[in-house]
Amino acid sequence: MRAQALSDASPDPLQTLAEDAEATQPLAIPDAVRRFRWIAADMGATAFGLYFLGPASERSRLVPCFDSDYPGVGAATRALSGSQAEEIARHARASTQPCWWAGAQAPGEKAAFAGLAWAHPVAPPLPQTAGIAFPVHADRGQCGLAIFIGTGIFLTDDTLCDIHARCFSLFGAMARLRHSEPERVRAMSRRELECLRLTANGHTSEEIARLLKLSVHTTNQYLTQSAQKLNAVSRTQAVAKALRLGLIE
Amino acid sequence: MTATAAQLSPDISEPHLASRGGLTAFLMRLAAEIRADSYMLVATVPNRTRSEARIVASNWIFDTIELVGRRLIAALARGPHAAAPGTSARPLRAAEAPALHGVLTGEEAKLLAVLGHAELYSLRLDVGRQRLFILFSAERTGSIDQAGLTRAQLKSCYALSQAPQLLADAAAQDPLSERERECLFWVSEGKTTDEVAVILGVSSNTVNSYITHAMQKLSASNRPMAIAMAVRSGII
Repeated sequence: MRAQALSDASPDPLQTLAEDAEATQPLAIPDAVRRFRWIAADMGATAFGLYFLGPASERSRLVPCFDSDYPGVGAATRALSGSQAEEIARHARASTQPCWWAGAQAPGEKAAFAGLAWAHPVAPPLPQTAGIAFPVHADRGQCGLAIFIGTGIFLTDDTLCDIHARCFSLFGAMARLRHSEPERVRAMSRRELECLRLTANGHTSEEIARLLKLSVHTTNQYLTQSAQKLNAVSRTQAVAKALRLGLIE
Repeated sequence: MTATAAQLSPDISEPHLASRGGLTAFLMRLAAEIRADSYMLVATVPNRTRSEARIVASNWIFDTIELVGRRLIAALARGPHAAAPGTSARPLRAAEAPALHGVLTGEEAKLLAVLGHAELYSLRLDVGRQRLFILFSAERTGSIDQAGLTRAQLKSCYALSQAPQLLADAAAQDPLSERERECLFWVSEGKTTDEVAVILGVSSNTVNSYITHAMQKLSASNRPMAIAMAVRSGII
C-alpha cells in the first residue's frame, strides 16, 4: 500500500498545470472535495477535512468548510470543532510548518512522520489517531487548516511540499468562493474613490474638502455614497473594504 | 563567503535556522538548487500612505539596490506577478517590459537587465500570519528551474516559521498586540465601539483604549487611517 501511495504521489507536471489553470476559475465545493480525495489517496490518508480559522485569537476554533463525509459531517470534524484543536489552531497562526501527531497505537506512523525534516510534532487533537495538518493562507489574510487522518500516511520531504502547495491552491479557491458571494460592488465614481483614498490617508472631511476644492457637505455626500455602494455601515468599514477589493491603494 | 555559509549549514534540509548565517546559507542553497543567481527576502512595513519594503536578507549587490531603489523593489515584490503558495509563478522578464502594464517602465527594465536581473520571480511567503516576499532572479532568461520554485517557496515558509527571531526586525511591521489587532479587525468590519466591547467581552472604554494605542503605534491620526494602514500591511 505504501509503495502504491508513493508512486501515485510522484508529481505529474501536466496534471499540476491543469490544476493551476482550473484553480483560477471559480471552483465549486464538490470539485474541491474531489480534489481533496485525490490528495488524500496520494498520501494514503483515509479521512480529511478543510477548516477556516475564526478571526478571534483566544477562541481559536476551526470552522469546517467540508470533510471526507461531504455533504455530511464526519466524526473527526465534530471532535475538532470543539476545543481539542486549539493547539494546532494556535500553531497555524504562528507557523506554516505542517504539524503531525501519532498516538501510541501507531508506532509506524510516528517513525514515518519523525523522518520529515520540516514537519512539527503536536499533541494528538484526536485520540487513537495519526494525522497531519497543513496550515494554509489565502489572499485576503484568511487562515485555515487542511487536515489528513489515517494510519497509512506516507510522505517524503518533497511530496510534503507538493501536497502543501495543492492544499494552498484549493484553500485559496474556497476562500475566494466565500468572499465572492456577498460582494457585488457597484461602479464607483472617480470623486468617490478620491475621497475614500484621502480618508484612508488620514484626512478629515474638512481637509478633503479643501484639497479637492469641494464643500464639506459634498465631501460627506461622496463618502456616504461610497459606503453605501460598498455595502458598508461606516466610512471606516468602507475604507477597509475598498482596500481589500483593490479599489484604492 | 560561500564556503563560510556552507560550513554553517551542512544540508538544505537542516531545519534549524538558529542564526543569521544559517538564514543566508539556507537562501543561498535554495537559490542554487533552482539555478537562480540572486535572492532577496522582503518584508513590507506600514508607512503613512503606502507600505514600504524592508530588505531582510539579500545577495543583490549594494549598488544594484541603490540604483534600482526600494520603491521599485517593493513594486516588484508585491506586484501582480507575485505568486501565492500553490499558484504557479510567472516570471517578470525585462525583455517583455513594454507589455508589463504599470509594473516596470522600459528604462527600469533595461537597468535591471544590465544589473543581472533579466528574469525575476516574486513568491509570496506566508509565515503564520506574517507575509513576506522572496525574489529569485537570474542573469539569463530561462535559467531558473520553474518546477522547483513551488518547493523552494514552501521550504522558505517552513524555514522562516522556525526562526521567528530572525524576522524580529521585520516584525516591527506587526507592533500591535493581539487584542489591539482584534479590535481593529472588528472596527474594519463596521462594528461600533459598543459592539466590539460585546464581542470581546470587555468594556467599551477598554476597546477605545486598545484602538487609541493601536493608532499611536501606527502613528495614525484617526481611525480610518489606522484601519487603512493595518489592511495595507496585512495585519488585519
